[in-house]
Amino acid sequence: MEHMVDLDAVDDEASTIIASPQRTGFLPIVTNWFDRVFVAIYLFVALELFWMRFLEQSIPLSVCHVLAIALGALIVWRG
Amino acid sequence: MRSNRVGWLLLAPTIAILGIFGIVPFLYVLYVAFHQWNPFGANPYMIYNGANNFRRLVFDNEFLTSIAFTLKFAFFAVLSEVVLGYFLAQLFMKEFPGRGLFRTIHTLPLIVAPIVVGSVWRLMTTPSIGIIPYLLKSWFGYDLNIGRDATMAFALTVIMDIWHWTPLVTLTLLAALVSLPKEPFEQAQIDGANRWQIFWHVTLPMIRPAILATVFIRLMDALRTVDEVWMLTGGGPGAATRYLGLHIWKIVFPKTDYGYGSATSVIVLYLTLVMCWLLYVALVARRGQKRAS
Repeated sequence: MEHMVDLDAVDDEASTIIASPQRTGFLPIVTNWFDRVFVAIYLFVALELFWMRFLEQSIPLSVCHVLAIALGALIVWRG
Repeated sequence: MRSNRVGWLLLAPTIAILGIFGIVPFLYVLYVAFHQWNPFGANPYMIYNGANNFRRLVFDNEFLTSIAFTLKFAFFAVLSEVVLGYFLAQLFMKEFPGRGLFRTIHTLPLIVAPIVVGSVWRLMTTPSIGIIPYLLKSWFGYDLNIGRDATMAFALTVIMDIWHWTPLVTLTLLAALVSLPKEPFEQAQIDGANRWQIFWHVTLPMIRPAILATVFIRLMDALRTVDEVWMLTGGGPGAATRYLGLHIWKIVFPKTDYGYGSATSVIVLYLTLVMCWLLYVALVARRGQKRAS
């Protein structure tokens, strides 16, 4: 009984530590940085596969790399 | 800072196990996916071939077809399991004679190994000796032969999966239903809500996390099902039940094409994560947005 814990203070501290900054960008959901990186990586892979299947015969894959990285960066910064 | 250190210390065993058994094998599969590797072929060494395995994959009609079949299988199986599981969970919430016995019997499929489930269903559906073709023939005059009929083979794989895994859904939803507080239901009844309104506006929102967790678990399982289907149909007739797990198994084991098999596995993992994420966004994240706004 010597050390009484202030539960409200602990809660505040925990929420400060745990909560990651969330925001709404042009993506239709509230995201944190992990969500945006996740979406960027997944769109990167999807774009690469789509390109290989339909466009690589006429446009080289390196163009897709540039586009996918640019799209990823846009999502991470503005998504 | 102290609590952080203790937290990391407590998490360390889990992280170590996850790393050794989850992350490291995944990274290895990813590494192999960018190589041509057939250890039993003329050249048994790994040869780096860039994205060629993935390039081959997007033109592989067998793979694309098996994606379609797997999605169809997962959709019908998971949806049926959740609906049936919910009704059974509601049934177990009520008192009736023999409830304990019925609940025990109903849970038994869960403890049977998938390969055994496949064997049993194979025996039950083999035309000359199985009880299901016999009953269908004598009752309805229907000649069931899953070696010939692709639609029935597909339907039976779905029914087998439902038989095997609905108890898991029932138990999860039963646990969720039992833990619900009584007050919101009493309040809704006082306010004159009917059974459908209570289900839609009270029960469903409250058990949404349990439903979501169950759907995730079952969806991931359905997308990688191998042994049951392999025993029941062997992927046939033709490629009608050649689901993704079975497709990978055939590439990796009979053909020993490890590089291509790894690339296929990576894409299957990708599809699984995308579907789970989309489901999560549809059911949880957008609600969070509404609350925030």
